[in-house]
Amino acid sequence: MFPVRFITPQGNQQVAEPDLDSQVDEVPEQDVPWIVLVWNDPINLMSYVSFVFQKLFGYSKEKADLLMLDVHEKGRAVVSTGPRERAELDVFHLHEHGLWATMQKDS
Amino acid sequence: MSWRRPKGPIIANNDGTFLINLTPDERATLSGFVDQLESLLKADISDERLKRLYPVAYHDDAEKDAEYQGYMRDELTQSRAAAIDTVRSMLTSEESVTTAQLVAFMTVLNNLRLVLGTLLDVGEDTDEDDFEEDHPLYGQYQLYGYLGWLLEWTIATVSGQ
Repeated sequence: MFPVRFITPQGNQQVAEPDLDSQVDEVPEQDVPWIVLVWNDPINLMSYVSFVFQKLFGYSKEKADLLMLDVHEKGRAVVSTGPRERAELDVFHLHEHGLWATMQKDS
Repeated sequence: MSWRRPKGPIIANNDGTFLINLTPDERATLSGFVDQLESLLKADISDERLKRLYPVAYHDDAEKDAEYQGYMRDELTQSRAAAIDTVRSMLTSEESVTTAQLVAFMTVLNNLRLVLGTLLDVGEDTDEDDFEEDHPLYGQYQLYGYLGWLLEWTIATVSGQ
């Protein structure tokens, strides 16, 4: 028998009220993507920030420069996305190189 | 007579390695600052001057950040100590260095700039007029500028520019 029923119960059958607490469509935390942000700061050299993006993420100089300019002009830029563990590792390496990086769940 | 291009503080060799082209005085002075950085890191990493070296990771979740700092902070300190050891040996040797060693060199120069920049309260509009010769932090600002110059040279050389 096909295990999933799509047919609404008929007749006198009682339809149970949905348990709202258990019906919330929660995506398991491990499936929610995280974003890694680099924030503008007045100390790090622009050339250094671009160099670190190239080194850590393998970005081309053009892409790294664009991200660096985003950081400089808009105040922050998303430099990587992925599962939480990956994002933590990226943040660690960015901190290791002296960049001001944080992470948050993607919205 | 042959014309020789003036050499910068970092020179790229033909085999992919690099030479640190600093005078003995520059090497000794830089070593002294690296030692100071090491002392700061060993003394108390909650020192206000080190705050840019240990930023938060979760800017919107203090609980997760505390957890993160609990298992990453020591690792970060160990990584900084390893980079300092690499740079110290580079500054006491005339031998060529690898790209990886030069990256450690850049990281330490940048760490020094972050500490000095915090001490000097550098902002977007800070310039040399803020630190004239009679300013008590004039020397620190000069050093901050020198480290920036050296870091720019290093990045340009490693990047082949």
